[in-house]
Amino acid sequence: MQSGAAMLFLLVTVLWTAVLWWVAARAGAAAPYERVSPVIGRIRRLGTPAVVVVLGIAFVVSLAFLPYASSRAARLGEPTVHVEVTGRMWAWELSQTRIPRGQVVEFRVTAADVNHGFGVFSPDGRLVTQVQAMPGYTNRLLYRFDEPGVYTIRCLEFCATGHHLMQAQFTVE
Amino acid sequence: MAPVRTNGEQLQRSVDQAALVYLLTGFAVFLLMGLLGLAMRLQHAGWLDLGPRWFYRIMTLHGAGMVAGVLLASLGGVSAVIAPRIGLSPRLLWSAYVVYFLGSGLVVLATLVGGFAAGWTTTYPLPVRGDWPVSATWGFLFGYTLVAVAFLLWCLAVLLGARRRFGSLANALAWPVLFRRPASGERPLPTGPELIATVVALDGVIAVLAGVVYLVPIFAQLLGLVSGFDVLFAKNMLFLFGHTLVNLNIYVAVALVYATLGAYTGRSFKMSFPVALAFNLVIVLVLLPYFHHLYQDFAQPLPLHLLGQFGSYAVGVPAFFVTIIGSLGLLYGSQVRWSAPVIFVLAGLWGWTIGGVAAVIDGTIAVNNVMHNTLWVPAHFHSYYLFGAAGFTWAYLFHRLSGVEGWARSVAARRLAWLYAIGAGGFVLAFFFSGLQSVPRRYAVHLAEWQGLAQIAVPFVLLLVVAFAGLLLMVVRSVPAAWRLPAIEPAADD
Ligand SMILES: [Cu+2]
Repeated sequence: MQSGAAMLFLLVTVLWTAVLWWVAARAGAAAPYERVSPVIGRIRRLGTPAVVVVLGIAFVVSLAFLPYASSRAARLGEPTVHVEVTGRMWAWELSQTRIPRGQVVEFRVTAADVNHGFGVFSPDGRLVTQVQAMPGYTNRLLYRFDEPGVYTIRCLEFCATGHHLMQAQFTVE
Repeated sequence: MAPVRTNGEQLQRSVDQAALVYLLTGFAVFLLMGLLGLAMRLQHAGWLDLGPRWFYRIMTLHGAGMVAGVLLASLGGVSAVIAPRIGLSPRLLWSAYVVYFLGSGLVVLATLVGGFAAGWTTTYPLPVRGDWPVSATWGFLFGYTLVAVAFLLWCLAVLLGARRRFGSLANALAWPVLFRRPASGERPLPTGPELIATVVALDGVIAVLAGVVYLVPIFAQLLGLVSGFDVLFAKNMLFLFGHTLVNLNIYVAVALVYATLGAYTGRSFKMSFPVALAFNLVIVLVLLPYFHHLYQDFAQPLPLHLLGQFGSYAVGVPAFFVTIIGSLGLLYGSQVRWSAPVIFVLAGLWGWTIGGVAAVIDGTIAVNNVMHNTLWVPAHFHSYYLFGAAGFTWAYLFHRLSGVEGWARSVAARRLAWLYAIGAGGFVLAFFFSGLQSVPRRYAVHLAEWQGLAQIAVPFVLLLVVAFAGLLLMVVRSVPAAWRLPAIEPAADD
């Protein structure tokens, strides 16, 4: 997911930098505004629907990849492993720290004091999924781990002094 | 453009002086908060160790101070631009300034002396559960309340002034242009900055109300009147307040682009159907994207998540096609008089768009699941803020102090402006790449493998320091003259 976002972002950044460069290079020259203005109008009339269509398609396609429990259950199947998770300043409590690979796991995540963020980092350091840990709520996070190894949980919602120390680990085997 | 009152010129001069104080105070706060930002990036790079307590205090102050400072400056700028016709009173501006100043002072005391460190967002229940004295929480939240009151005063003054001037709110929102009806009677139509100010004031009132709904229960809890309340509801109000406020700040700054760019290109934004449509859409659209802060709160109802994704996608479209494309149209072939304000606007158009694209990517729920609360998020809002809200405002400040042919056109000023553009660009790109590398945001300590990008960011921040130090000197030198003379006519509004 991150690499896709990176490519899209880089592409747009390079293109947009080139566009601004092009305009800036021609800002010092003389072109009557009566000729520029209709072009701007045309860019607006053609560009707006084009962008709206692209965003509309992206919106619809993205709905197939929602991270919410019902959506993931539909894609991955119902969970067979259940892990109770409680976040508190500044530690994580997990009902089990060994998770079988290839099975759908349900993390039932809550918090004892303030908001925390249950962020799951893969053995190679990539954030693979997350959910908020909230006092008074239990959020269900479904995931299937296909790669074995030691995963790190890091708090992803700021919770003051010990925030960056709030870690735990579990092993996928 | 005729003054509204007989003593209009005198009034306008008083407004200009108040505006200048807003702008300069905001600029000073921005620079100080920027140095705090440098300290944080040095810590991320592994080159400085403040310890987590001081890091989080500084982080809290940096966020709160930047929002307060840049908002103050841009409100000052736009006040000067709209005052000739909307008729803001200098007394109101000065009163709001004093309230604002007291509020900001409390925030500084609460963080640096009191040790309050819940982040500028102060997500409930952290403000009441942190490991700092309760007096610090009182000070911080009361400081916020004062800042919000000052902003509310400004919003109400603009709404009343706009109604008086344009006859009705509908006219102030350019509805005759929007619905292609002739303006009622002999009432004038708003200019771009006047329309934007009205839109900001409308949404500003809503944002402040959300802030009140957020803060009152916390005060009640601090007083022992309630034992606690729903964290999800609190978060909704918090971000309806905070996210909206920050976004409105960018639109305030956009009004300043309208007022600045025309002077250097000899062209002007006309109040036209696209402009009227865009900013009327913004009234609603700017209230929706805040839901993207809550995508990972799975307990939030799904329709609100989807509304957030819709809002995050939609809000950028009118801004891009009207303001950004329109500004490029003003620049193209205009024989522009290159100067620091123009370079700041150009850089602002770059960063605002890049930040917008990043927001659309992160505003996609599926992507947000692996990006939320990584450094991608500060990357995106620093692009908005440093380039957009702040950059556009400083463009106006330099224009206000220098005029078209003054010091801002000097080789030195232009070089410093490019230095700013490069420094700001490298600085935000390092943030973006850190986000892609899954580096969590708001961490006092970075792992060794995360430090590389922070080490790359530091030299770019130093470029920013050099650029702003140079520009500060030029600003300081030109203040006395600007204080005595009335502001230059904003050439862009007609
Ligand atoms: Cu935490």
